[in-house]
Amino acid sequence: MATPPWRTAGGTAVQRPGYHPVTIKKTLGTTAAAANNYTASQKPASRTQFPDALKAYVARTFEDCPTENKAEVEVALKKIITEAFENGSVWTIDWATYPLPAAARRNSGDSDRMDTSSDDASPVAAPAHTLGKFHKIGKGLNGSTAVTTTNGNNKRKLGSRNQSDHSEPDRGTIMRPDKRSKKQANSDYSYEGPDAFKKLDRKYKKHQTKNVFSQYNAMHSALDSPAFAPVVGRSTKLEKRYLRLTSAPDPDTVRPLHVLEKTLDLLKSKWKAENNYSYICDQFKSLRQDLTVQHIKTDFTISVYEIHARIALEKGDLGEYNQCQSQLANLYADKIPGGHPHEFKAYRILYLLHTCNRSDMNDVLASLTPAEKQDRAILHALAVRGAVASGNFHRFFRLYLDAPNMGGYLMDSFIDRERLAALATICKSYRPDIPFRHITEELGFENDSECEAFFVKHNAADFIKTKDDANAGGKGKIVLETQRALPTLEAAKAAAFKRVDIKGQI
Amino acid sequence: MESLIRAWRLAHASENGKLLASTLSLTNTDLEEFAYSTNSARVAEDIFRTLEYENSAARPKVTNKAGLEAWAEVYVGFWKVAQALERYDEVEWGTVFSGMKEVTQAVIRGFQNAGWEVWQLEVLFTACKYLRYVAIRADEAKRAAGEDTWKQLEEAARIINRAFNVCLNDRAELAQSRKWGTYYIINLLFKTYFKLNAITLSKNILKALVANTTEMPDLLDFRTSEVVTFKYYCGVIAFLDEDYFKAEEHLDMAYRLCHKAAQKNKELILTYLIPTKLLTHRQLPTAALLKPYPALEALFLPLAKCIKAGNIREYDENLAKGEDWFVKKRIFLTLERGRDITLRNLFRKVYLAAGESKTRIPVDHFRAAVSWKSGVDVEAEEVECFLANMMYKGYVKGYISRERGMVVLSGTNAFPGTGV
Repeated sequence: MATPPWRTAGGTAVQRPGYHPVTIKKTLGTTAAAANNYTASQKPASRTQFPDALKAYVARTFEDCPTENKAEVEVALKKIITEAFENGSVWTIDWATYPLPAAARRNSGDSDRMDTSSDDASPVAAPAHTLGKFHKIGKGLNGSTAVTTTNGNNKRKLGSRNQSDHSEPDRGTIMRPDKRSKKQANSDYSYEGPDAFKKLDRKYKKHQTKNVFSQYNAMHSALDSPAFAPVVGRSTKLEKRYLRLTSAPDPDTVRPLHVLEKTLDLLKSKWKAENNYSYICDQFKSLRQDLTVQHIKTDFTISVYEIHARIALEKGDLGEYNQCQSQLANLYADKIPGGHPHEFKAYRILYLLHTCNRSDMNDVLASLTPAEKQDRAILHALAVRGAVASGNFHRFFRLYLDAPNMGGYLMDSFIDRERLAALATICKSYRPDIPFRHITEELGFENDSECEAFFVKHNAADFIKTKDDANAGGKGKIVLETQRALPTLEAAKAAAFKRVDIKGQI
Repeated sequence: MESLIRAWRLAHASENGKLLASTLSLTNTDLEEFAYSTNSARVAEDIFRTLEYENSAARPKVTNKAGLEAWAEVYVGFWKVAQALERYDEVEWGTVFSGMKEVTQAVIRGFQNAGWEVWQLEVLFTACKYLRYVAIRADEAKRAAGEDTWKQLEEAARIINRAFNVCLNDRAELAQSRKWGTYYIINLLFKTYFKLNAITLSKNILKALVANTTEMPDLLDFRTSEVVTFKYYCGVIAFLDEDYFKAEEHLDMAYRLCHKAAQKNKELILTYLIPTKLLTHRQLPTAALLKPYPALEALFLPLAKCIKAGNIREYDENLAKGEDWFVKKRIFLTLERGRDITLRNLFRKVYLAAGESKTRIPVDHFRAAVSWKSGVDVEAEEVECFLANMMYKGYVKGYISRERGMVVLSGTNAFPGTGV
């Protein structure tokens, strides 16, 4: 007597196969012969072995088994197999055609009973008979009368019916005679309510358990792709000219991390000593490139991008700054530790003000966390945004003079534009003139001469006049003649707002 | 399988597009039966044979051999969908999606190469509709596992875009043209692009549509539901472009055509129509208008009250209270401009309080009012700045005399559009 495997070793972990077993069906006549063959040639070497056909049978059982029936099926299956082992028939049974346990069926009911007993009764129905029936069903559908068939052949049989297929048309199976098929009528078929998606959401919700493997798989497939394979550099040179890659990187010219770290120190001291922007920008670009091709994403990467971003800001190179900014956004989003995400979020807000990008601004606002809304730099940037939005130039220029970190450099990029906007508003609303001094103070100029230079630059210096002031004891007072200056400043404002176009903008 | 394919034949016999499309619906009650009716080794043959059988049973025949092959491709794809949905405890949405992709692509090919007719367009609609749904589920599954992606929805969008071109560029005479499917597909694309936050792509669609506009049937000849959705999205796109007058036109039309029982849709339209009207005509929603929509009522009504009363502080507070939702709906930056109107109303009250005929009012009076209503002591310069903005935007007629610290208001119509 053979011992079933679970009595000797562990449990019965039944694995679902990644394929659909298609087994050849034996006719009754050949089964005995085949069984003899099995006994002769395939007698197990070890007592705890399953015949392959049995494995397929087990797999088949579980394949279609409703979740809630699993336990029951397992019990039934154990019973069947134990019996088979005990009476020694495990190697003689034709598992390919052996009926499945009743609980493994999706619908219990008459179809099941037919299935379990149908092995020799109904695999092949007479073609003429079924053909006739088939037509009748067509009519039934047309006239929307109920349709029933007495055909009990099982859906699963379709999978194990290879042998009969060539001689028989597939008419053996028409419909499962369960309740649903009975009301199969036109109306039922074409109805799809407006809440189809809700129905689907409900129906397939029960299956939604978090798949722990998907992340793993995604990671692996990404790494396996040759296009993404990281390079490991071998170069030891500290400096390198930037060259845009047009082919796969050559490890001989790529510097590994420990070299890059030294490079960064070198660049920092060179920047302090020489302040040569074109050199430093070039070097930083090659540094960034080496990081990218080697897939280095660490706090070191963040500090490289941050330093480059700050240097670019200082030099007013917004294109380069923006490239760093978008990379930084990704790095922060990947939860790589280190860096100054708040500082750069604030820059991002100011930058979007510069580009007048309202939809991205909306996205940034939507992304702000409560902690970010407490940060000084971000609060400042938000206040600037509010001031720009409401045209509150008084507040705006106060904030300009009080910008934290390097926000002032960013605001420099749109300060002139905002000054022109403020001047246009002032010229429209003040009559007959406005003290020049007041403009210097309100628009955040350092002194009167800087303010004057601004007017000269925009061809509006002619409108600054010295006015005799009786109250000031005959001393002349410098004023801006608002009404006359309006058209010029209005035109300058329109031109300034037109020119918002930045390379490398995301 | 047989009942499904039989429905296919019956649909053809009566040219019933909805019935035909329902064979590709994921809510189809035969989905499970279909999934179990064959296996992956035999599916192509089984389906083709069944189609062939039904075809030969039909009088006249549904289609020829090439046509059968086209349909077989569709149903083989659909079987993969059904199988992935029904035969596993845990639905692998990525597999469902790739099946649905095959279905949709096969349907598109059917229209391009197999000469499917205009009554069959429902099939295209259903395929695209579920393609989008399944793509979202597939992406959500990945996102739940920590991957930040909308890859599959992006792919779905590309396929639906092909469906769009198949409809738009059909040159057949109008009665037989696939152009009748254009707006349904456009609406699906809009929905998808909005979900992907790729609104510029929607504008490309509109451009392509405008380029074809002379050959298109009149918009109002399409189903009203399609028109409403289309106009809604056009309105929102214009709104986001800050083209508020155009936005108002589109949204107004959507609102008027919207079915009265479609509360949810009307609510969506109003979400954008209310801020739009605030800017274009400085119109505020009435309590009666908002009554049927509690969510809108809770957020918009207090704002409207503050604007009317010139209550700056409460306006700011109410705006902050709804900020998350407003930002999510992308109306925050627009609503924020309501502050101007609040201020205008406050200044108007100062003017009225000073007496009808008085046109010279000290800046200090306005400063006092703003300080009182905003709860913070405001500097004179800042109030001047507010006033200057009002004048610049035309909310107030007059000028500021800095020398005298006076606001000089126009003798007539100092606050245009408000009756004073």
